[in-house]
Amino acid sequence: MIDRHPTAERLVAFSRAQLTRSQNREVVRHLLKGCARCAQALAAQAPPGIGVGHPAPLSRDYDAAFAKVREAFLLAQQEHLVEQQMAPSLLLALEEHPFDRQVLLLTNSRRFWTWPLCCLLLDRSHELGFKEPGRALDFARLGVRLSEQLSVESYGDTRVADLRARAWTTLANAQRIGSDFRASDQSFVRAERLLRKGTGDPLEKARLLLLKASLHGDRRRFPEAIKELDRALAIARRNGDDPLVAKALVKKGIVFGTSGRTDDAIDCLREGVRGIDPKSDPRLMVAAHHNLIVYLIEGGRLQEAVALLEATRPLYEEMGDRMNLIRLQWLEGKIAQNRGRLSEAETLLRSVGTALADQGLGYDAALLAFDLAAVYARQGRTEEMRSLAAEMLPSFQSREVHREALAALIVFQKAAKMERVTLGLVHELSDYLRQCRKDPGVRLRDSL
Amino acid sequence: MTYLQQPELQDSLNQLLLASRPRLERVLRHFEIPPEDAEDILQDAQLTLLYKWEQIRSPESWLVGTLKKKCIMYWRKRRSSLCDAVDTAILDLVATPVAPDQEKAELSFDLNRVLGNLSARCRSLLKLRYGLGYGPSEVAEQMGYRLSSIRKVTNRCLAALTRQLVAVGFHREPTDD
Repeated sequence: MIDRHPTAERLVAFSRAQLTRSQNREVVRHLLKGCARCAQALAAQAPPGIGVGHPAPLSRDYDAAFAKVREAFLLAQQEHLVEQQMAPSLLLALEEHPFDRQVLLLTNSRRFWTWPLCCLLLDRSHELGFKEPGRALDFARLGVRLSEQLSVESYGDTRVADLRARAWTTLANAQRIGSDFRASDQSFVRAERLLRKGTGDPLEKARLLLLKASLHGDRRRFPEAIKELDRALAIARRNGDDPLVAKALVKKGIVFGTSGRTDDAIDCLREGVRGIDPKSDPRLMVAAHHNLIVYLIEGGRLQEAVALLEATRPLYEEMGDRMNLIRLQWLEGKIAQNRGRLSEAETLLRSVGTALADQGLGYDAALLAFDLAAVYARQGRTEEMRSLAAEMLPSFQSREVHREALAALIVFQKAAKMERVTLGLVHELSDYLRQCRKDPGVRLRDSL
Repeated sequence: MTYLQQPELQDSLNQLLLASRPRLERVLRHFEIPPEDAEDILQDAQLTLLYKWEQIRSPESWLVGTLKKKCIMYWRKRRSSLCDAVDTAILDLVATPVAPDQEKAELSFDLNRVLGNLSARCRSLLKLRYGLGYGPSEVAEQMGYRLSSIRKVTNRCLAALTRQLVAVGFHREPTDD
């Protein structure tokens, strides 16, 4: 027996899951009895996949919806612009304090709890990146702390989840740069978890994948790095984000290069460079060209490397960044060395060595010293080699060069003393040092 | 990050929203979003654009793509809310402790009739759920599923059951027996 039919309104409310629990029970009990009339009425209202196609909307006039949204949007826009304007001065106010106090302020003082300030902290962390890894880490930590204070009521829960994910991603990246790979891994896990609660914006995911690929690359997990980069590339291409495509290609090129696939690296970097707008991202342009030149040299394509270096020189100089200019000179030294202009190479490399030491970049200085050693090895200058080795060791012992790298330097010093340094040994030790930087667990070959 | 100046940002955003309106409206029509719900979906997409403005390279494509995704999510959410409502109601009905025997028998008969139109797999799963009061882990163990996949299978069966309830007279679920 079919009892009283639910009203049309109640069926509509049921199809939208808007009834109370007891009302729901009544409707479901009625439907279980097999009421075809109500089932058919409901089928026209139920969502696609349940009913028969899309329920016919009562109206197709979206004017009111657009008007209301515009009103709400203008209001939010005003508030956002005010917050955005205040963010730089809030950052200045924050920077007046030591780190612990900054954390306290961000935790307790509501005036700091704004979206633009959080973005500013995260951007600052990215900017500082390799230049000042310690400060980059601090800014990322502050970003994470602030993201946790942001109001989900004001900004929306899914949007805040996205920003929190971005904050954890930034922290993961800063930890990676500081070689704290385990912490970086854990932060990426946090970021991914938060992203699942977010808006589902694929570009957020792509940015996370790009940075996670860098972590895999640093840990010499090249297949994983390439896989993440391919995923990021697919998302960026699907969404027509050309700058992100270019960035992913450049990163992929660098991963190929680090893993020894020089030709693939060159192809990828070339493709990436074509998509970079030098005006909007000159830093990426310089980084891409720099790596391309390095791999062209490594691939023995000196003519192309020289031509590219000359074409890129204005960009290096335009950037005016001291580290970039040092890198430029290092490249010139390598090119001179590969062209057999050994005394020119020596002058350039010595000058780079001094600059790196001034900057306190012990590891880079160690790598550079091996380039210089290669010059001496080719000239058979054993005496200079011995004094270079003697200069290197005490200098690196006092700097941040880890145990395995020091071991390589000791091997080099002993070989120099015994006048048994060959070009092969120099290359081997130099490669080893490069690997050590990313993975301190790498061991010197037993035969050394 | 270089923020756009206020008037510049306002102009760019406002122009974009005006220019993209026809495309946005087409998306809403295509997905047949009820106008009363379109407001929430549109607002959500536009506010996200506002907060992420500095990161988005092609705002109009991003906005249209995001709106499409939100429309898909809208229907997915409505589907799962409806299935949850049906599931909760049946669980409540079978759990009513003081129902007279005749009512219980009628409910059991009606439920079995509806379940009879489902695939053997869904029929077994939902009988364990409603008839024997098994929880997901017990259902998984009984039917040989991994705990990680039982939720997905259960959701599919609930969707099939809901389709049966609302589409009596329109179609039968494909059965594998």
